[in-house]
Amino acid sequence: MKQKNRIGGRLFIGLTFLFLYLPIFLLIVFSFNAGDSSAVWKGFSLEWYSALFQNRLIMESLYTTLLVSLLATAIATAAGTFAAIGLYSLSKRRRDALLVVNDIPMMNADIVTGVSLCLFFVAFFQGWGAFAQWFNSVQGAVELPVRLTLGFGTMLLAHVAFNIPYVILNVAPKLRQMDKNLVDAAQDLGCTWMQAFWKVILPEIKPGIVSGALIAFTMSIDDFVISYFTAGSSTSTLAMRIYSMTKKRITPEVNAVSTLLFLSVLALLVLNNVREIRQERREARQEVREPSFLEKLSMKFNQPAYRWARRGLAGAMACAFLAAVVFLTGATSSQPVVNVCSWGEYIDEDLIGQFEDATGIRVNYQTAESNEALYSLLKSGGADYDVIVPSDYMISQLMEEGMLEELDYSQIPNFEKIDRRFRNLPYDPENRYTVPYSWGTLGLIYNANMVDEEPDSWGALYDDQYAGGVLLINNSRDALGAALLHLGYSVNTTDAGQIREAFGLIAGASRRGVFQGKVMDQVFQKMEGGNAAIATYYAGDYLSMLDNQADGVDLRYVIPVEGANWFVDAMCVLKDAPHYDEAMAWINFIASTEANLANMDYIWYASPNTEALEQYPAYYEELYGEELDPGLYEIMAAPAEVLERCEMYLVLPPATRALYNELWVQLGT
Amino acid sequence: MRSKRGWFAFPYVIWMALFVVVPIIIMAVYAFTAADPATGAAQATLGNFTGMGLYLSVFLRSFWLAVLATLVCLLIGYPVSYWMAKEGPRFQRLAMALIMLPMWMNFLLRTYSWMSILENNGLLNQLFRAAGLLDLLGVDHLQMIGTPGAVVLGMVYNYLPFMILPIYSVIVKLDGSLVEAARDLGADGVRVFRKVIFPLSLPGILSGVTMVFVPSVSTFAISNLLGGGNQMMLGDLIELQFLGGAYNPHLGAAISMVMMVIVVVCMVVMNHFGEGEEQAVML
Repeated sequence: MKQKNRIGGRLFIGLTFLFLYLPIFLLIVFSFNAGDSSAVWKGFSLEWYSALFQNRLIMESLYTTLLVSLLATAIATAAGTFAAIGLYSLSKRRRDALLVVNDIPMMNADIVTGVSLCLFFVAFFQGWGAFAQWFNSVQGAVELPVRLTLGFGTMLLAHVAFNIPYVILNVAPKLRQMDKNLVDAAQDLGCTWMQAFWKVILPEIKPGIVSGALIAFTMSIDDFVISYFTAGSSTSTLAMRIYSMTKKRITPEVNAVSTLLFLSVLALLVLNNVREIRQERREARQEVREPSFLEKLSMKFNQPAYRWARRGLAGAMACAFLAAVVFLTGATSSQPVVNVCSWGEYIDEDLIGQFEDATGIRVNYQTAESNEALYSLLKSGGADYDVIVPSDYMISQLMEEGMLEELDYSQIPNFEKIDRRFRNLPYDPENRYTVPYSWGTLGLIYNANMVDEEPDSWGALYDDQYAGGVLLINNSRDALGAALLHLGYSVNTTDAGQIREAFGLIAGASRRGVFQGKVMDQVFQKMEGGNAAIATYYAGDYLSMLDNQADGVDLRYVIPVEGANWFVDAMCVLKDAPHYDEAMAWINFIASTEANLANMDYIWYASPNTEALEQYPAYYEELYGEELDPGLYEIMAAPAEVLERCEMYLVLPPATRALYNELWVQLGT
Repeated sequence: MRSKRGWFAFPYVIWMALFVVVPIIIMAVYAFTAADPATGAAQATLGNFTGMGLYLSVFLRSFWLAVLATLVCLLIGYPVSYWMAKEGPRFQRLAMALIMLPMWMNFLLRTYSWMSILENNGLLNQLFRAAGLLDLLGVDHLQMIGTPGAVVLGMVYNYLPFMILPIYSVIVKLDGSLVEAARDLGADGVRVFRKVIFPLSLPGILSGVTMVFVPSVSTFAISNLLGGGNQMMLGDLIELQFLGGAYNPHLGAAISMVMMVIVVVCMVVMNHFGEGEEQAVML
C-alpha cells in the first residue's frame, strides 16, 4: 500500500515537471530549427544563434537585464541588511509599524507598484523641470538639465525599492534568533561596534543575507511589470524587448536567447548541487574538510593585520560601483545620439547603419505600437525621443498641445524633393513642423483561400460567417473609422450618436465572437501564417505580407466600396529635444531620394519624394531583374481616383477624443 | 545594542516614505481628480470611481480567472508538495531546484513558449492534425489561443511555483510524531490527513493562495499574449490607461487604487483564516 502510494506520488510529481519543462524543452528544440517557424521542424541549424549575437537590440536588453538585476541586488542587500539592524534596535511598537509599511511593496500587485512609481517619477520630473528652469534663469554658472525622463536610473531605483523588503524579510528572523548578549559580550571584551558587527553579527545573520540576496535577484530577473512602467522608452530589459516583439513579429532569436539563459542557469544549479552533495558525503565520512580558497582568504581577512586589505577591498568595490554609474551615465553623452521612434517594420534597417557610418551619430531606434500608444508614452513621461513619425491627425493633436518643435528647414535641403501634394496638408498648413515620411491607404486584407466570396465592404469585419477569423485593428481611430465608413458617416464626424452607433457595430461583433483578437503588427504573423482570414491594415504592410506568405495562403488587398482612409506619416521633432541638430541630420538623410527608394523597396509604403516615387519601378526592375507588377504599384501608391474615394483623418476635438477613449476601453469588457 | 543603533533605520524610513508612501499618495491624488476635457487642468472628482460600473465585466472576469488559476494551482501544488516532502533529502533538493529554475528565465519567456504551442497553426494543432483528431472532429483547428482557458493555463504555468514553495516548506517541517500519535490513536490515512496534516499545512496554503491570486488577478502580459486581447483583465485595463491606446492616468490610478483595496481585503481575510497559526511563510 505504502509502496504503491509512493509510485503514484512520484508519477504525479513527474507529470508536473513535464508540464513545467515541456514548453521550455520545445523552445530549446526550435531554437535549432532551420526555418523561422516555431511549429514546423525544417532541419537543424545554428542560424538563430549567429543572428542573436548580431541582434543589437536583444543583446543590449540582455545586458540591461543582468546589470539592473545585479546592481539592484547588491544595493538592496546592503541597504536592507543595514535597515534590518536598525529596525531591530528600535522598540517593538515602532518596528512593527515600520514593518507594515515594509510589507506594502511585497503584497501589492506588481502593476500597482509600477503605476505608483511611474506617477511618482513623472511628478518629480515636473517639479524638477520647474526648479531647473528657475535655477538656470537666476544664475549662469551651472546649467541644470530641464527635461528628465524615465530610464535606467528610475528602473534601478524601482528594483531596489521592491527588493529591499525581501532582504529585510529574510534578515530579520536571523536577527531575532541571534542572542543579543553576544554583541554585548564582544564589546565587553574590547571590540568596537564595527568589529562586533563583522565578527559576531555578520556571521550569525549571513544565511539570511544570502537567501535575501538570492530572492532579490530572482525577483529582479523575473520582473517585467515594474520595469515596464518605470524604464521609459530608451531602456529595455529582455522581458520588455520580448513583449514589444510579441506585438510585432517574434523571431526565433528569442528561442535562442531563452535557450542560452536556461542552460546557463541550469549549469549554475547543477554545479551548486554537485558541490553540496560532495560536501555532504565528506561530512558523512566525518572528514575534516580542507577550507576552500575563498574561506582561507576570508579567514586571513579577519585577522587585524589585514585590516588595510579589507578597507582597500571595500574602497575598490565602492570605486568600481561609482565607475559603473559614471560609465552608465557618461556612455550616453560621449557620442552624438539621436533617439528615433517609429512604427514596427517601418524602415530598411540598413539605412540606420549607413547613417551612423556617414555621420558618426548613433541612432537609438525604437518603435511604438500605434499613434495612441505613442501619445500615452509621451504623456506618461516615459519617452525621451527626438524624432517621431506620427500620422496626420496625431501630428495636429501634438501641435495643439505644444509638444512639437519647429524644424529648421535650412538643415533639411532634401525637403525640396518632397512632392507638392504632400506639403502644407491640413495637419500642418504652413509646413513648419513636419517632413513627410510615407503615405498610403487603409484597406481590407483577406486570405482568398479562407473566404467564400471576395469581400469588398467593411461589413466583412463584422460578419458572423467569418467568426473567429477576423483581426480587429488595435487602435481606436482606425477601428472606429472603418465602422463609421461602413455606416456611411465621415471618419471625422464629431456626432456622438454616429460614433456610438459605429462602436455598437464593433462591440456587437466582438460579443458574437467574430474577432480572433485585436492586433497591430501581430497581423503580419497571423495573416502570413494563415491563422486569420480577414484584417484591416495598411497597404504597404499588405505588400510586405505577400513576400512572406506561407504555402496555401493567398492574400489580397481591397479598398472597400464605402471608401477608406488615406494617411501621411511625417517626421517631427519633440519640444526641447535634447539632440536637435542630430535630429535634423536624420530627417534630412531619410528624406533623400536614395533613402526613400531603399525604404520603399523594403517597407512597401509609398514615398512622398517625387523622384523616388517616379524612379521606383525602374529601381525595382534593376534590382530584381523583372518588371514591377503595376497592380502592386497601384496598391502601394494609390492613384488619384482611388485617393478621391478616401478621406484623411483630421484631429478631433478633445470631447470627441475622450469619447473615443472611453468607448475603446469598453471594448472587450 | 538596543536603541543605540536605531538611527540605522532612519535612512530606510526616509526611503520608504519616498518610494512607498509618496507614490501611493500621488496615485490617490490622480485617482480622485480628472482632466477637464476643454482645458486639460485637473479637477477633483469622484467620477473615476462612480463610472467604474462600466468595467464590471472586467472585474468579474479577472476574479473568475484568477480564482480558477489559484484553484488549479492548489490542486496540483498541494499533492506535489505533499509527496515531495515524503522523499529523501537529495530528491527534495533536486525537485526544489527544478521548481525554482524556470523563475530565473523571465516569466515572459515562459509565457511566450506557450504562444507557439497554442496558436491555430501551432504545435498542438499540428499534432492533432497529424493524429487525425481534427478530421475526426471535422474542424480546421481547435481554437486555443485567445480563450479564457489559455489565460488560466498561462497563469497556472507561471505561478505554480508560488503555490508549491510555501506549502512544501510548511509540510516538510511538520512534526512527524503528531502523525504517528494520530495513527497510534487509531486514525486511518484519510483521517490523519484531514485532522492533522491538512490543518497544520493551512498557513502554507494561505500564503500560496495569496501569492498566486494577487499576480493572477492583476496580470496583463499573460492575458495580452495568450488571451489575444479578447480576455481583458484588470491589469490590461490599467495598462491601457497609461501606456496603451487610451491615455487616462486618472482612471488608471483609480482602478489601481481599487486593486490595492482588493489585495488588502484578501490579505485581511486570509490572515483571519490563519489566525493563531504561525505567520505565513513566504518562499
